[in-house]
Amino acid sequence: MKLELRAVTKHFGSLAANKNVNLLVEPGQIHCLLGENGAGKSTLMNVLYGMITPDSGQLLINDEVVSIRDPKDAVTHKIGMVHQHFMLIPVFTVAENIILGSEPVKPWPFIDHQSATERIVSLAKEYNFDLDPSATIENLPIGTQQRVEILKALSHDAEVLILDEPTAVLTPQEAEALMIVMRTLKAQGKSIIFITHKLKEVLEIADVITVMRLGEVVGTTTPDETNEAALATMMVGRNVNLVVQKPPAHPGDATLEVTDLFVQDDRGLTAVKGVSFEVRAGEILAFAGVQGNGQTELVEALTGLRRVTAGSVILNGSELVGRSVRDVLNAGVGHVPEDRQRHGLVLSMSIADNLVLDQLNSSQYKSWSGRKLKAIEENGTRRIAEYDIRAQNEAEPLSSLSGGNQQKVVMARELSRELKVLICAQPTRGLDVGSIEFMHRQIVAIRDEGVAVVIISSELDEVIALGDRVAVLYDGKIQDIVPPTTSRADLGLLMAGSRPTANAGATS
Amino acid sequence: MSIAPEIVTPEIVTLENLRQITRERALGYGITLILIGVLEVLWFGGARSALKTTIEFGYNSSSAMPSIASALRIIPLFLGLLLLAPVASHSARRFIPERFKFTKGVRNCFIIVGGYLVIWPIALWFGVNSGGALRTLTIPVSTSGYVVGILTMVAGGLLAWRRFDRGASPLLYVGLIVFMLGFLVWVARGSNVSGLHLQLTGILAAAVAAATFLIFGSLSGTLCERSGVVNIAIEGQFMTGAISSVMVVSALNGTGISKLLGVLVAGILGALIGWVLAVMSLRYQANQIIVGIVIVAFCTAVTQFIMFQVLTTHQNLNGAYALPVWAVPFFSHIPIIGPILFDQNILVYVAILGVVIVNIALFRTRWGLRVRSVGEKPIASETVGVSVARMRYGAVILGGFVAGLGGAAFTIGPGTNFTFGMTNGYGYIALAIMIFGRWRPYGALMASLLFGFAIALSANLNIYLSQLVIPQQFISMLPYIITIAAVAGLVGRIRPPAADGVPFSRE
Repeated sequence: MKLELRAVTKHFGSLAANKNVNLLVEPGQIHCLLGENGAGKSTLMNVLYGMITPDSGQLLINDEVVSIRDPKDAVTHKIGMVHQHFMLIPVFTVAENIILGSEPVKPWPFIDHQSATERIVSLAKEYNFDLDPSATIENLPIGTQQRVEILKALSHDAEVLILDEPTAVLTPQEAEALMIVMRTLKAQGKSIIFITHKLKEVLEIADVITVMRLGEVVGTTTPDETNEAALATMMVGRNVNLVVQKPPAHPGDATLEVTDLFVQDDRGLTAVKGVSFEVRAGEILAFAGVQGNGQTELVEALTGLRRVTAGSVILNGSELVGRSVRDVLNAGVGHVPEDRQRHGLVLSMSIADNLVLDQLNSSQYKSWSGRKLKAIEENGTRRIAEYDIRAQNEAEPLSSLSGGNQQKVVMARELSRELKVLICAQPTRGLDVGSIEFMHRQIVAIRDEGVAVVIISSELDEVIALGDRVAVLYDGKIQDIVPPTTSRADLGLLMAGSRPTANAGATS
Repeated sequence: MSIAPEIVTPEIVTLENLRQITRERALGYGITLILIGVLEVLWFGGARSALKTTIEFGYNSSSAMPSIASALRIIPLFLGLLLLAPVASHSARRFIPERFKFTKGVRNCFIIVGGYLVIWPIALWFGVNSGGALRTLTIPVSTSGYVVGILTMVAGGLLAWRRFDRGASPLLYVGLIVFMLGFLVWVARGSNVSGLHLQLTGILAAAVAAATFLIFGSLSGTLCERSGVVNIAIEGQFMTGAISSVMVVSALNGTGISKLLGVLVAGILGALIGWVLAVMSLRYQANQIIVGIVIVAFCTAVTQFIMFQVLTTHQNLNGAYALPVWAVPFFSHIPIIGPILFDQNILVYVAILGVVIVNIALFRTRWGLRVRSVGEKPIASETVGVSVARMRYGAVILGGFVAGLGGAAFTIGPGTNFTFGMTNGYGYIALAIMIFGRWRPYGALMASLLFGFAIALSANLNIYLSQLVIPQQFISMLPYIITIAAVAGLVGRIRPPAADGVPFSRE
């Protein structure tokens, strides 16, 4: 099926999310859509899938103009989409999720579960998926859930499949398996629109690459004609340094010592199961691991946000467990939270206020009647210049900033205190190449000032680039602590809960 | 370098983890039951002296079970046991022919028919086949205290010792029911002398009657919340249904057809209120809780106006007409449970049938799958072409209809006239019952019966409590204490629909 978008334009208020975008997808093609966050990729795909109505523009399928007003139209025109956040209902079974919206009914109005199951099993066999139709989604690993999503699209006879950042949530092994699935689909004549940030994957699998920036298509190329650096330049619009410039570390004394830490998650299940490690001054310890293996709970425990069941966290000889969040912060712990919008910032408040959120108790910003507005304002202006935060002025509400600039505000605030340890959870999640570069430079700089740094990231590239040592979390335990020079394959295996057999003794 | 072939897939919630939690819970419940048992022995059993309690069975049951000759009674007994055998044991199931599918429905039929056939001869033998007359049983209080105490301790001990990872709840319920019986016997002590007999059947029948509107209410809540809309306007739908059904029936002088019309009008007005709630919360995305409460306030004002302006001048519009009572043939003659379950007004059967139908509709049909999907993750339903708005409108309007019927169960169900404030906040209690029933129709039914029992108890124990130190108001607090416990999640792992009360818009 040939799919063409012509001159699609979509405005959100005054912001142009898509400007005159043209896209041509040939049958049996893997078409990569590359761009920074906010470049308009997701908007374009939501237009294609009928979730968003464009202001103007045309959609052509096999050279005929069609109109897609809602997802149902998209499904009838054989367009399927695997969303970044899966459109699966966690408490339903695999079969129920796949048949939803086109349930076989016999006799009316009862669902014919038997024929549904048969159809799913035969479809799964056709594409070589291993799926149990009666399994409940929430009990399945992420990679399997993604396959259910793909199978759901295929069960609607999709000819064009949109994959929105599918590898962001996968382990390297799962991502590798997804590549194989994509090739199988391509061999069957399906077209795939593959959205991603990851340049390596693009070069590995794409037939055609379209790069978007600020709502416009800036170029179309093929993997043979380009390389990572050229793609990054196209995406950002300037030269980007993809490699972190990192002089060797000079670790000092142990600053943070964590011993036998046990933490429970919200459901009361033990999420962190006896974690012990130490971080020395002037050293970066990076945690790798698939999401949901205790990272969130570990960070919250270290920063005093979550009650610790057992164990101790010692910072420069004093115990942090059981102390209030304020005490922990005052002891010199900096925290860049995983979800900056929910936990790091108050979006409706100004940049200047956000920059002093955790220091309003200090005499620097506190006066007898409230806040020292002048000092807060000056601090805001200074930090905006210092950290190159792109904003009109310090009074602008934080919600009007892009993700990268919001993260700069968080970083600027945490680094403006006297720190002993900096804990960064997913410091570059959702950021574009340019902002990632900036964040990484900041983290290395603070390390070289003698601060102990803990990085928690689900991006293997980031962990390898930043870490002086790499700890792998799996099922709430540290699987191993290895040097960053360890091969990706070995790290991937550790992340999946097994150990590389060959040099098992060498690392310990 | 070689790489280990096997990869352990990380599992998010393991079944083992959940079992562990259930086991820990079972231990806690077990210990609690044992303590309750000790209490029973000391408290009920300690009621020394020769105090006795007289329990009354039988309650205006219209006729007796058909009588058959002694020798022939063995036949229904045998047939009944034959029917119950495949229900009870797997090995008996082998004798059923292959092409005859032993489904859940078939099993339930076997239980009902077989159960009746077994009870029938037994009832005849024991002579409790009252035929409307009351039978009494007089037992010493302290002995009963020891018996129930030991039974409770055994139930608790089993629970704590075996730590079942599932099926823990039946034992828990047995323990609590036994405690309740012991308590009743203790409360009514001395009734063999005073003549204030403990009317067990009467209390239970009153419980079912009180449960009726709660069943409708909690069923309505379940329907709405499964689709992701919180229907806090049930109280208003109750009021409207209660007053409108009385007025329709009275205006037509209580003819047969007017009663049907009264019930329908109650339902339709309830559905109309549901529609208003749906428009406000779905089209205009207003806060569902606030809209619901405002609707209740509006309904209160309107009923107040009608009650004190219209019905005071036209008192003939507020008559006491009752819906027909239908005694189910045969089943209504079973001693004790017959009059309780099978000799009620038609609305009670409608309520129970409604539970069955809604359960099938929610969990077996296409409509139900879509409603539940919309209540869990509306965006996912929208991407496969299911209209979130349409499903939610449907569920909320249907829920309103059901709650309106519940209103009729206040007035024309038992046959009383409308009094202002008779709904008494039960519309809100219905939501607590819905939570207690874990957003499931059968759960709502069971929880409604429990609450109905608590309500009936507080109304029926007055005569004894006046002789005791316990003020009656404490017993009246019972339903609300259960409510708080239920809402606080003491009845186990409670998980609402994920998108419950969350408005949905596509962009």
